[in-house]
Amino acid sequence: MSDDRSFEELQRELEEIVARLERGDVPVDEAIALFRRGEEVYKACVERLQSAELRIEELAPPEAST
Amino acid sequence: MPKVEHLLYGDRKVFTVSSFNRGVGLHLGRLPNLWVEGEVTELRRNPAWANVFLTLKDPKTAATLAVTIARRTYERLDLDLDEGETVHVAGRAELFEQKAVLAFRATTIERLGIGGHLLALEHLKRKLAAEGLFAPERKRRLPRAPRAVGILTGVEAAARGDLVATIAARFPPTAVVICETRVQGKGAAESIVSALAALAAHPDVDVVVLSRGGGSFEDLLPFSDEAVVRAVAGSPVPIVSAVGHEQDTPLCDLAADARAATPTAAAALVVPSADELEAALRATRRRLGAGVRAQLDRSRGRVERQGERLRSAPPLLLERRRSALDHAGARLQALSPLATLARGYAIVRSDGEALRDAASVRAGDALQVQLASGSLGARVDKVLP
Repeated sequence: MSDDRSFEELQRELEEIVARLERGDVPVDEAIALFRRGEEVYKACVERLQSAELRIEELAPPEAST
Repeated sequence: MPKVEHLLYGDRKVFTVSSFNRGVGLHLGRLPNLWVEGEVTELRRNPAWANVFLTLKDPKTAATLAVTIARRTYERLDLDLDEGETVHVAGRAELFEQKAVLAFRATTIERLGIGGHLLALEHLKRKLAAEGLFAPERKRRLPRAPRAVGILTGVEAAARGDLVATIAARFPPTAVVICETRVQGKGAAESIVSALAALAAHPDVDVVVLSRGGGSFEDLLPFSDEAVVRAVAGSPVPIVSAVGHEQDTPLCDLAADARAATPTAAAALVVPSADELEAALRATRRRLGAGVRAQLDRSRGRVERQGERLRSAPPLLLERRRSALDHAGARLQALSPLATLARGYAIVRSDGEALRDAASVRAGDALQVQLASGSLGARVDKVLP
């Protein structure tokens, strides 16, 4: 799944999907679609956690304004 | 020494430049002795000069004041002043009359000691607290999983390595954006303010760690500078202050959204642990599965209940119809003449017409009499109208 959202946003989507499913008022077709989407998001989250390597960027110190 | 005298051109009083300067000088000379606080800049001394010259600067407004002090007096003070140091200078205003240049003639200079700094800090702290800069409701929640962590650190600082290593170990999906800057001495406060702004302006930075190892009271002073404290409080992204050691409380600690005693603790505040996150994700996934199963179970149950109602519908319908039919039969029965005949009445007909009036027949006419069971043929014997 190509998704350039942050890990936190993905995680939040997963939480929302689960919360909707747990409320139990979605039609069954939609429930199945939500479940599939949830599985995808879960896999994307885990992939991010496992494959990532810390990126380091150096910011040039800005000139002080004095 | 020239007196303040004027010339008269008719009615006009006119002063010479010397007289005017002298007058102003005398006037200034009546001002009292007092203390002035400022930062030392442009310190100039020369063994051949009778005086030492320096400029005092107000760090907030950049206003300046020229100061002179007798070289011997200055040498006796044995201060070894550096530029940027905050001092208190005692003396009075004085005019260099030859050029009408104002200077502050100092009789003594004192370096602002720890006591003075503490007083100034306490004063600033009360002022900023009164403005609400340290109020708990101003503190923002730190992001759970930032896209990038901004790190403001001294040049070649050891704290930087600890921070980066801990972040890398806990939560590798994030990025760190490091800005090395001057964190102590002259100009440090301005550098910190600029570096903070640069980090906060970075598009991915969701949180900034102010990182500074331990140091002397004076070394940590820039982190209590008013401009720095205001920049921390007003930062568009949340800030974690990890400045000095546990016992130090620079004012930026109070204005920050969270404080950490060590770089490692700061790292633990700004990024989650990937291991804990994975465990949490697995738990969420279990809820996902359970949620969809529960939903399917509910749907199946509903379908089964509907099937049952569907199957039980036809017998019920027949039953209802039969009972309605029975009811109609009973009502029909009640209206039937046969029921009346059963109670002993008879129908008398003449030529097939039911008789209602005795006058419509004559004696000798044939009649048919219908009983509940069977009928009789009969003749009229007598008519009694």
